[in-house]
Amino acid sequence: MSDDSVTAVILAAGEGRRLAPLTNRRPKPMVPVANRPLLEHVIEAVAAADVNRIVLVVGYRQERIRNHFGDGDDWDVTIEYVEQATQLGTGHAVLQAEPLVDGPFLVLNGDRIVDPSAVSRIRDRVSEGTHPTMAVTTAEHPREYGVVSLDGDRVTAIDEKPEGPVETNRINAGVYGFSTAVFDAIRETHAPGELTITATLNDLAASESLSAVRYDGRWLDVSNLWDLLTVNAGVIGGSGASDPEGPVLGESVTVADDVALAGNVRVGPNVTIGGSTAIGSNATIEASAVVENAVIFPDAVIGAGAVVRDAIVAGNARIGPNATVAGGPATVVVGDAVHHGVELAGVIGDNATVGGGSTLTDGAVVGDDVTADAGVVIDGRVESGAVVRRG
Amino acid sequence: MCGITGYIGDEIVLDGDDEVASVGDIVHEGLRNLEYRGYDSAGVALVGDSSGLTVAKRSGEVDNLTVPDVADATLGVGHTRWSTHGPPTDANAHPHTDCVGDVAVVHNGIVENHEDLRTELADHEFTSDTDTEVIPHLIEEELAAQRGEGDLLDAVRAVEDRLEGSYAICAVREGDDRIVVARRGSPLVLGRDDEATFLASDVTAFLEHTRDVTYLEDGDVAALSAEGVEVYADGDLVDRGVETVTWEADAAEKGGYEHYMRKEIHEQPESLRQTIAGRLDVDAGDVDLDVSFPPGFLADLEEIQIVACGTSNYAGRYAAQLFEELSGVRATVEIASEYEFGAGRSPDRTLVVAVTQSGETADTLGAVRRANAAGARTFAVTNTLGSTVTREVDDTAFIRAGPEIGVAATKTFASQVATLTMLAVAIGRERGALGAADARPVLEGLRDLPGAVQQVLDAEPAVREAATEYGDSEAFFFVGRQLGVPVALEGALKLKEISYDHAEGFAAGELKHGPLALVTPDTPVLAVLTDGARADETMNNVTEAQTRGAPAIGCVSAGEEYGTLDVSLPVPDVGLVEPLVANVYLQLFAYHVANDKGRSIDKPRNLAKSVTVE
Repeated sequence: MSDDSVTAVILAAGEGRRLAPLTNRRPKPMVPVANRPLLEHVIEAVAAADVNRIVLVVGYRQERIRNHFGDGDDWDVTIEYVEQATQLGTGHAVLQAEPLVDGPFLVLNGDRIVDPSAVSRIRDRVSEGTHPTMAVTTAEHPREYGVVSLDGDRVTAIDEKPEGPVETNRINAGVYGFSTAVFDAIRETHAPGELTITATLNDLAASESLSAVRYDGRWLDVSNLWDLLTVNAGVIGGSGASDPEGPVLGESVTVADDVALAGNVRVGPNVTIGGSTAIGSNATIEASAVVENAVIFPDAVIGAGAVVRDAIVAGNARIGPNATVAGGPATVVVGDAVHHGVELAGVIGDNATVGGGSTLTDGAVVGDDVTADAGVVIDGRVESGAVVRRG
Repeated sequence: MCGITGYIGDEIVLDGDDEVASVGDIVHEGLRNLEYRGYDSAGVALVGDSSGLTVAKRSGEVDNLTVPDVADATLGVGHTRWSTHGPPTDANAHPHTDCVGDVAVVHNGIVENHEDLRTELADHEFTSDTDTEVIPHLIEEELAAQRGEGDLLDAVRAVEDRLEGSYAICAVREGDDRIVVARRGSPLVLGRDDEATFLASDVTAFLEHTRDVTYLEDGDVAALSAEGVEVYADGDLVDRGVETVTWEADAAEKGGYEHYMRKEIHEQPESLRQTIAGRLDVDAGDVDLDVSFPPGFLADLEEIQIVACGTSNYAGRYAAQLFEELSGVRATVEIASEYEFGAGRSPDRTLVVAVTQSGETADTLGAVRRANAAGARTFAVTNTLGSTVTREVDDTAFIRAGPEIGVAATKTFASQVATLTMLAVAIGRERGALGAADARPVLEGLRDLPGAVQQVLDAEPAVREAATEYGDSEAFFFVGRQLGVPVALEGALKLKEISYDHAEGFAAGELKHGPLALVTPDTPVLAVLTDGARADETMNNVTEAQTRGAPAIGCVSAGEEYGTLDVSLPVPDVGLVEPLVANVYLQLFAYHVANDKGRSIDKPRNLAKSVTVE
């Protein structure tokens, strides 16, 4: 039974700078997991919860989103768009949807994968007239998120990325139920810098009116580049995700069970595709290459004999013959932070070319449009557009 | 070029509505779906048991038409018009009626002998300038000549014998619970559902209601009722069968974009992926287009003649060079309306390739018929399954670009060139004119095309900036050499189609043979400076224009640099298809110039999507 009275507002305007270089050319919600954008997984959960009117708040690189989702017919939902021209925070993003919302509504993040039950339970709450309300889940590393303090089912505070020790592992799941009254609450929120929805939620918590819905289903967040591999593996593991039309496979190709292949992928002879791998539309894996635990975006080419393990290869990138991303735990630098022992051996940005026989080691991140000569060894970060020469 | 639609049956619920829609609403919706076929006037005729015949029509777009609320209507027909005979006025809009207003007719095509027929119908009162109006009056005469009330089906069959030309007609009559249709030369398709029957010039009109369709053939006359369809050919009842349409009408909606054209420009990476999916074997240097020629035909082939109009013709000009280079066959391109199978050719050693997005372009169909009549082998490159051209040629390769609604062709040009390039490789390989080693870089270029086009789309802000800076110029000149020539022509066509600016495309070497006289600081030059387009020589010509003060915008192969360009737009390295990638910049330029000027981008004045009149 569909519920036409509830609209889902999905926030998809942000850039997702922590996922650079993947987000240099696409917004974070369009980063693919199991060959489909993060946002598509969110929209599917919303549709599966019988909420069939969606407002997408878009901004950064919005053409990618509009082009992929259109008016939502492919998902049996109606999608309308509002633009957040400058990214001034999630609260500001929600405000942009005000002209298209006239009753109780849901707000979700366009880059967090949740089960339909997270959506339907919040929807049931707001339909009953209980709002504002928010979903609360648990996380292994709560300090990376908004830590939620509860008094029974009432939220007392949300502490965004707290620095000190925390008393609970309960965090904000990023699914909210509001009435239109929240728009005034957002406008009345005074916060330094960005106008975040959490700041408004804290105001609401302070006035003892914010209820929590406990949710312990699937909650997948791609905060960092290496999360993409684990989230991709988790989603593929949950469903045999290869295109039924079937890609073109050469002779003696080995493909593990938990692999998602788009229908128009070309795979040469003697290729081995190991588990937890997604290979996107029009990608090519040439003869004898080995690809394992990897996310390969559309149009990429993995050269003959190349080894690509624990790696991300973005759109239209070229990995030369016999190039190696050997895999294994690595140290990745994001901004000023150094992350040790992460499961990500290398990232190759959109349209980058890594020459034949090159080696990426220890969590190398190659920016988009980089050209690396044959036989180079790359570690650390290579800025977008750079040319890497031997010598 | 016009669109016809009709419905007979119960009220149904339309997409996105909660309440049942009346017959009038259903017909109106069908017209909206067909609006790309013409939009200078629209009208409907509805028949109800007690209300009789109600006609409403007016000049202007479909949305300007108020469909009367006829509660008891059980059937209706509608028409959206693109003028051929008589200006777009309320009186000239369809449907047309007879003297007493009992019979209403909508019509697509041309009645060539309408002037003679008007003379014969001297005692009838005509209210319009159209060729169509003779039809209801002829039906009126035939009905009067029959005994008693007369029968609409018999009358239409009799009238059909008196009409010359190409047409699809639909007639309704007060007191008759059928729609009678006739097809000769113009498309007409019937949709079948339980207790309802649809009709349209194009299946997209009713695709959201039913996928079971019957295609009528030339000379067919059919009586439609809610229960089904009776089709007559030469007076005999025939069974035309039912086919199931598998593609999606949804793809034909513009979603989150302001204009179909911009949506379709941005769809090109995906549509190109579809075009090449499963067709390239890069390692083997082979192409699988799922077509086969008779043994020995390709080996003996002497000439490939490409027949096409407009943008498809430019795609053909791109391909002709590739047929010569890759297939080793002499190739010529003809404007379809000018085509004759000329002397000095062996029909059995000639392949005529018709390029038409819709598969319904009348000029191209005419050329195919002349080629067939001459005995040549014919081949279609089209986007539309089940279209007329596919039934008239020996073989077809589909470009798989998906529905294109914007009148200005964008993604279909890209997919046409990509498909023709594959055809050139396939023929070259089979003839032994092209080795695997030489085919491979071409196929790699095709494989890399979607990613390369995506990079151009990512650079849209730079094009928008150039459009804003130079959009108000007096005129625009597009130049290139070799494969850059068709792209220059296409770039100029795109701009003039949608922005109404004066734009000309020509071979760069021609600049100094005349057009240079028009060059001023207020006439930007846009140049294709890529692989396959003799960039350095073209740049010399651009410099000639620059010394006369003209600003210069160049689409330049990645890694190359021409320091004197005012705007340089990088084209990724994809070899022979680089000019095709450069074309995407020109599409975006045309779009943004037109958008800055507030033009009606998806429906430029005086133009229709596919032109089904000659």
